[in-house]
Amino acid sequence: MSSRELHGYVAMSRAELRLFRREPFSIVFVLAFPLMMMMLLAAVFGNDPESADDIENGMLIWRGVTPADYYTAASVAAVIAALGLLTLPVNLAGYRERGILRRMRASSVPAWVVVAAQLTLAVITFLAGALVMAVVARFGYDATMPDDVIGVVVALLVGALAFGSIGLLLAALVRGSRAAQGIGLMLFFSLWLISGTAPPRAVLPSTVRDIGGLLPLSHLVTAIQDPWFGAGWSFDHLAALVAYAIGAGIPALYFFRWD
Amino acid sequence: MTAVIDVAALHKTYGDTVAVDDVSFTVEAGEIFGILGPNGAGKTTTVECVQGLRDADGGAMRVLGLDPATQAAELRQHIGSQLQDSALPGRMRVAEAVELFAAFARHPADTDELLARWRLDELRNHAFDSLSGGQRQRLFIALAFVNAPEVVFLDELTQGLDPQARRATWDLIHEIRDGGTTVVLVTHFMDEAEQLCDRLAVVDRGRVIAIDTPQGLIDGVGLSSVVRFTATERDLSWLERIDAVESISRRGEAVEIRGTGPVLALVASELVAHGIVPLDLRVERPTVEDAFLQLTGRTVRE
Repeated sequence: MSSRELHGYVAMSRAELRLFRREPFSIVFVLAFPLMMMMLLAAVFGNDPESADDIENGMLIWRGVTPADYYTAASVAAVIAALGLLTLPVNLAGYRERGILRRMRASSVPAWVVVAAQLTLAVITFLAGALVMAVVARFGYDATMPDDVIGVVVALLVGALAFGSIGLLLAALVRGSRAAQGIGLMLFFSLWLISGTAPPRAVLPSTVRDIGGLLPLSHLVTAIQDPWFGAGWSFDHLAALVAYAIGAGIPALYFFRWD
Repeated sequence: MTAVIDVAALHKTYGDTVAVDDVSFTVEAGEIFGILGPNGAGKTTTVECVQGLRDADGGAMRVLGLDPATQAAELRQHIGSQLQDSALPGRMRVAEAVELFAAFARHPADTDELLARWRLDELRNHAFDSLSGGQRQRLFIALAFVNAPEVVFLDELTQGLDPQARRATWDLIHEIRDGGTTVVLVTHFMDEAEQLCDRLAVVDRGRVIAIDTPQGLIDGVGLSSVVRFTATERDLSWLERIDAVESISRRGEAVEIRGTGPVLALVASELVAHGIVPLDLRVERPTVEDAFLQLTGRTVRE
């Protein structure tokens, strides 16, 4: 990695950010959708401290906090999943389909710069989205802010790594941006429904809960919620996310195609 | 002259299809070298292998002393590429694109100068999606020059352009060569190859079937020229004594003479000697297209 490549990476990331700002639709889906879901779920299930003790199937439904607090932390995880499963593969597959990757390659753009610029864009959009969500949750319904900020940040980074790798693998395996969009939407909503981001996992039938428990989004939800609610770092969930990052990341790099 | 590109027995297959079948050619420094052939002849695959954008199955290549198969990254710092079917993000603007790609060049060209040279000044803030076909091609040429290359590869540069934009693009290619850059031009347009190229490789079904100057190709297939004029003279049989003349046919006053070599000059001087000075004396010389049809035995499929 030469200093020229590093300079190129900065230039590419800035170009991607500019393009993102000019694309109204991607902003709506990535930033507005999870924010709206968070507000609606918080509004539907409320912020009553008594709900914190609700039990179903022998489990605390809201993990000992109010429904609104529960969904604030969970929705931050949903943004990461949306970026990884949808934005990243749709962008990259679209670039490949339209010959943009070919153009970049011919101009000496290294593969890592293409990928790193997309990941950088994803992280920056995520930070913006998470900030907006935190502000809305804090001032909208007085949601609890993270108890252990460092623990939450670590969980977010590990989650971004896992979903970034999964997104890159999807981008490498699908043919075009339409396929990426279809598969990405299907994966995102399936995960969203069974990972505690929509119905809490306690109310799910046990088979669905067990399957969901193996998938990356529920690991991420728990890894974020535990330090957020003061239950400490959840090393087993973080380890599972690292395993997803490696398991998807290595084949993603191997299968990366320019055209 | 030194060879900047040397390709020997290049071979590439896709499944059962042989795309490039033992293609060999050399390109000299400073020339415009054309690769001419119908769509699907293997032209693009050939130049993509030469640029290190695609792996060959066999053969040996040297480009500027580098091996495209193993030194592709180094090679791309020295060559410029205008690719078929490539694009930029729709909302990326002209100046942004040039500046972005300049960031990856070891010896970047001055971006303002590039924009001015390819008449993109006025379009600096235009999004890629809003550009016309000709404007996009100018932008792609500018991008090909962003690393001050020694060789540029131009693949079907004028595809989809209207006649005016095509002519303007031809002028640009002459400008490139005048600037000292070697040009490899891939095209299926016969007139383009004839107008622009110093030398041509005619490619069909993955094979090189001839390499020569445009005129050399035409002369090589031995097609006759046709001289036409009108004359009221009844008897023109004395024209048949000229060696270069093969046949004479008449329809009323219209005379048509088929012949080879300097047939026009010889016929003209003989006519003048006999006191005949037709105003409409003209010659139809065979073109690269005629030579191509003769060489391949079929028409170019669009």
